[in-house]
Amino acid sequence: MIFTPQGGLKKSRMDWVLFISVLILLAVGTVAVLSSVAALPQQARIIRVQFMAVPIGLIVFSAAWSLNYQVYQDQWKFVYGFLLLFLFGVLLFGVVDKGARSWYRFSFFSLQPSEFARVGIILVLANFLDKRINRIRELKTVLGAFALCLPVFFLLIKQPDFSAILITFPVVILMLFASGASFFHLAIILGYAFISALFPVLWTMITLNPELMDSALIGYFFNLSTSFWGAASFVAGVSVLAWLLWQLSVRLYANVSGVYCAGAALVLIFGFFSGVLVKGQMKEYQQKRLEVFFSPESDPRGAGYNLLQARIAIGSGGIFGRGVFSGTQSRLGFVPERHTDFILAVVGEEMGFLGMTLVAVLYAVIMRRLMQCARLARDRFGYLVSCGIFGMFLVYFCINFGMILGLAPVAGVPLPLLSYGGSNLVATLMALGIAESIYARRYALV
Amino acid sequence: MIDRQIPQERMDLVWALCYGVTLLFLLRLVNLQVLNTAYYRDIAEKNRTQVIAQSAPRGRIFSHDEVAVATSKPSFSLIYFPGQLKSGAEIDHLAQALSRRLDIDYENIRSGIYRAVSREKPVRLAENLPAKTMLVLSELKAVYPGIDIIVEARRFYPFGAYLSHLVGYTSKMDVKDWTRLSKDTNYSMDSRIGKAGLEKMYERELKGKDGGIYLEVDSRGRLNRVLESRKWVPGADIFLTIDSKAQAAAEEGLEKSISGKGAVVALDPRTGALLAFVSMPDYDPNQFVVSGSEKDKLAPGEILPEFNVALQGSYPPGSIFKIISGVAILESGRVKPEETFFCPGYYDAGSRIFKCWEKKGHNKVDFITGLTKSCDVYFYNAGQRAGALNIEKYARAFRLGQLSGIDLPEEKSGNVFGPGPRAAKKSYWFIGDTLNLAIGQGETLMTPMQAAGMIAAVANGGFFYRPYYVDRIVKGDGETVPKGKPEILSRVELKDSTWQLIREGLRNVVFEGTGQMAKIEGAEMYGKTGTAQNPQGKDHAWFVAYATVNGEPSKVAVAVLVEHGLHGASAAAPIAKAVIEAVLRGDLVKKRAAPAVPAATTTARGGAV
Repeated sequence: MIFTPQGGLKKSRMDWVLFISVLILLAVGTVAVLSSVAALPQQARIIRVQFMAVPIGLIVFSAAWSLNYQVYQDQWKFVYGFLLLFLFGVLLFGVVDKGARSWYRFSFFSLQPSEFARVGIILVLANFLDKRINRIRELKTVLGAFALCLPVFFLLIKQPDFSAILITFPVVILMLFASGASFFHLAIILGYAFISALFPVLWTMITLNPELMDSALIGYFFNLSTSFWGAASFVAGVSVLAWLLWQLSVRLYANVSGVYCAGAALVLIFGFFSGVLVKGQMKEYQQKRLEVFFSPESDPRGAGYNLLQARIAIGSGGIFGRGVFSGTQSRLGFVPERHTDFILAVVGEEMGFLGMTLVAVLYAVIMRRLMQCARLARDRFGYLVSCGIFGMFLVYFCINFGMILGLAPVAGVPLPLLSYGGSNLVATLMALGIAESIYARRYALV
Repeated sequence: MIDRQIPQERMDLVWALCYGVTLLFLLRLVNLQVLNTAYYRDIAEKNRTQVIAQSAPRGRIFSHDEVAVATSKPSFSLIYFPGQLKSGAEIDHLAQALSRRLDIDYENIRSGIYRAVSREKPVRLAENLPAKTMLVLSELKAVYPGIDIIVEARRFYPFGAYLSHLVGYTSKMDVKDWTRLSKDTNYSMDSRIGKAGLEKMYERELKGKDGGIYLEVDSRGRLNRVLESRKWVPGADIFLTIDSKAQAAAEEGLEKSISGKGAVVALDPRTGALLAFVSMPDYDPNQFVVSGSEKDKLAPGEILPEFNVALQGSYPPGSIFKIISGVAILESGRVKPEETFFCPGYYDAGSRIFKCWEKKGHNKVDFITGLTKSCDVYFYNAGQRAGALNIEKYARAFRLGQLSGIDLPEEKSGNVFGPGPRAAKKSYWFIGDTLNLAIGQGETLMTPMQAAGMIAAVANGGFFYRPYYVDRIVKGDGETVPKGKPEILSRVELKDSTWQLIREGLRNVVFEGTGQMAKIEGAEMYGKTGTAQNPQGKDHAWFVAYATVNGEPSKVAVAVLVEHGLHGASAAAPIAKAVIEAVLRGDLVKKRAAPAVPAATTTARGGAV
C-alpha cells in the first residue's frame, strides 16, 4: 500500500529512529549475553538460541510490520481463542522448568506462551475498549476489561508465571487510562491494588523491625482476619463508618455522592481481605525478596546476595566500564541470572556508565517513538494497541532498571531486547512490528 | 487528526512519568557508577581475589660481634582450599587422614576445613609443621585435592632466654593491636608483631613487607587462576652494641649466683653504648612465637617475668653510694682527704648508735682508707661535715632521680633522698637521716642502669651519655643506617684532685679492699662493692666497676646487682669481673702476650703502647 499524497511527498513507511534504536539495543544485548555466558555450562545452547532468536525475531518483526494491524481487530475472536488455547495447552503438554510449567519443548527449541500472551492480551483488550469507547465511563466497561483478562490471568497463575501478570496488570490499567476511563474507577482499582499490596509490605516491615508490632496495629488487624466474627465486625465497622461519612457530607451540604463512600468502603474491605490472602499465599522466596528490598544487608549471603552482587558489579564498572568480556563480577559468577534478569549488571560492569546511559536513553527513545506512533495512529484501535505496547515497555523498563538499581523489589522480570530469552525476544519484536505497522498506516505525513 | 473520542492529553501525563523515571534512573546511575566507583571496585576486587599471605621474615638482630640473637627460620603451614569437597563425610575423611599422618588434633582440622567450606576461603589448618611433613603431604596432595603447603618465615631466638629483656618477643596480635593496625595493609589478622623490647620498638623496621599468593576465585571459591605471586621483602637487620661474650658471661654469672635474680648493666663509658644487659628472671621468647599467648598457659598465680630488673628495679644503693658521698665530701672542701676519723666500729649519734659494718672497727681512717674499706663511720663523720644538702646535690648531679634516657619503655628513675625532698613533703630532716644518706641507706633508690651510668661517669670524667643499644640498621637493600651516636646528657664537673682521689680509692677497693674478688690480671680495675639492707629479706649485693688497660680510656663500666646476694664482694664482684674480662678479652690477650711488661709501673705503661 503505497500512499503518495498531493505534493509528491512520500510517507515514510518505517519509523527508522525506532528501528535503529532497537537494532542497537539488540547488538548491546547480544554482546552482553555472549559475555555473561562465558562460564556457564549451558553456554553453547544459550549462544545458539540467541543467534537463532535474533533473525527469527526480525522476520516476525517484518511480517507484523507488513501485515495490516486491523486484521487483529477483525479477527479478535481468533486471537483471543488462540491465546487461551496456547496457554491452556502449555498446562497439558508443557515441561516444568524452575518450578513453572510454562514451556513447550520442541526438538530444537522451546516456546514460552506467556510471552506471546502479553502481546495478545493487548490486541484483544484494545479491540474491546475500541468497541465500547462510548460507554468507557461506565464501571461495567472497566469490569468487562478485567473480565476479559481474567481467564488469561487464571491460566498464567496455573503455570505459575507471576512475572507475566505483574507486567500485564499495569498495562491493562494504562490502556484503560489511555482510552479515557473514569478517574474514579481507576482510583478504585489502584486503591484496591494498593491496599492489597500494602498488607504484605507492612507485614514485611514488621518482621524486619519487630518493635513496630504494637504501634502499627497491623498485628491486631491480621488477627482480626483469622476469625469469622472478627472479619464480620471489620466489614460492619468499615461499612458503618462509610455510611456515617456520607451522612455527614449530606448534612453539611457537601453532597458527596454515596457511590464514592460505598466505593471507598468496598475498596478498603476487599483490599484488606485480598491483602491478607496475598500475604498468606506468598511463597518463602517472595517474602524474602520483599525483605531484602527494604534492607539489602539483612541477608547478604541469601536473598540479598543477588542484589548486592549486581550492585557491586554496576558500581565497579565506573564511567567507561571494565571492558567488554572482562567484568570479573559477572564472569566469575558472582552475579546470578546474569544473562536474563540481571543482564544490566553485565552491561553496567563491562560498558560502564556510558553503556547504561545508552541503554536507558535508547529505551526512552523507543518509548517516545511508540507514543508518537499512538498519536499518529489511523484509528482508535491502533492508538490503543500502541499505548499497550508503550505501556509494556514502560513497565519492563521500570521494573528491571528499578530492581537492578535497588529502587524496586526483585521481581524476576527480564529486560526485553537485552536479556537472553528466545520467546521474549520474538514476542517483543512482534509487538514492535505491530507498532511499526500502525505507524506505516497512519494518516499524518511525518 | 480525526476525533477518536480519546483524551490525548492523558498521554502527556504518562510521558511525564516516563521521563521522570528515566531521569531518576540516570541519577541513580551517576551515584553508583560515577561517584562511588572506587568503593564498589574495591569490593569487586576483594570478591574475586583471595590472598594467602606469606609473612616476610622479620629482620634479624645481631650482637655487636655479629652473633645472631634473633633470626627467622622457615616453617611450613598447611593450607586448605575449599570448593573441592562437598559432603560432610568426605571432609571428615580428609580430616582423619590429615590428623593421622601429621599428628595434629583431629577436631582442630575438621573445624578448620568446615570453616573454609562455609566461608569459601582458604584456611590455614596447621602452622609450624616440621620439615619432614613435606614428604607426607606430597603424598596426601595427590589423593586429596585442595590441600597445599606454603613456606613462611617464623621468628627464632637461637639462644632462648638470652638477652630476652632487651630483645623482647613477637606474638599474635590482641584486640588492641588489631584495632591499631587493621588499617595497615601490611598486617593481617594472623600477623605476628613485636610485643616487647626491641621487637616492639623497632617493629616498623623489622617487619618487612609481607608477600602473598593472589588467587582469582569464582563465586564458589574455586580457584580460577593465580594472579600474582608476590615475594616478600625481608625486614631490616638490627646490629646491637651488645657484646655477645660479655652478655653470655653476665647471664651465666647471674644464673649461678645465690638467688639467680638480679641485673647486670655494662656500658661503654666512652659512648654510652650498652655492652651487656641482663635482667633475671628472664623468659624464653621462642615460646610465644608458636603458641600465641603463653600467658594463658601459665599456671594461675605465675606471672610472666617481663619485669625488667635493670631498668625498673629500684634498690637502695648501699655502699656504692659512697662514691657520690665521697665526691660530696671532697668537693665541699670541709674535710681534707688526709684528715682521719677514728672508727671504733660504731658511731654514737646521741639518740641512737649507728654501726659500722665492721664490728671490730677500722681504727684511724682517712678518705682513701674509708673508701677502700668502705668504712661507714668515716662517712658518718665526713658526711655530716660535708652536709646532707651537698650529698643530695651530687646525688642529683650523678642523675639519681632522673631517667638514664635509654630508649626502652617503663624505666624507673630511682629516688633522691635528702633534705630537699623532705622539705617538699613538709617533713623534718634529722641527723640520723644524714648518716643514712652518707652510706647509701635510707630512702635513696637506684636502678642498676643508674648505677652503671654513675660508674661510667667516674670512668670517663663525669660525662653522662645517653645509653643506646642499636648500633646500626642494615636494610634489605643493603643500605646501612648508623644509629649509635653518642649523646651527652649531662656532665658532673669536679676538681681533678677529686677524680684522682676517688679513682685511687676505687682501685684500692679491688686491689686490697672489699672488692678483691674482681681482680683481673693485666688490667687496672676500679670498683666498689655495696650491700643494700633489705628489710624484707636477705640483703642485696651490688658491685660497680670499670677497668682500663695500659692507661687507655676505659672501655667498660659495669653495674651488677644480685638480689638477696648478701655481700657485694662475694656475690656481685665475680660477675663484674667476668663481664669486664669478656669485653677486654682482645686487649688482655695482647697485654699478656707481652710478658716483660709489669702492670704497675708508669714507665712500663708507656713502653707497652
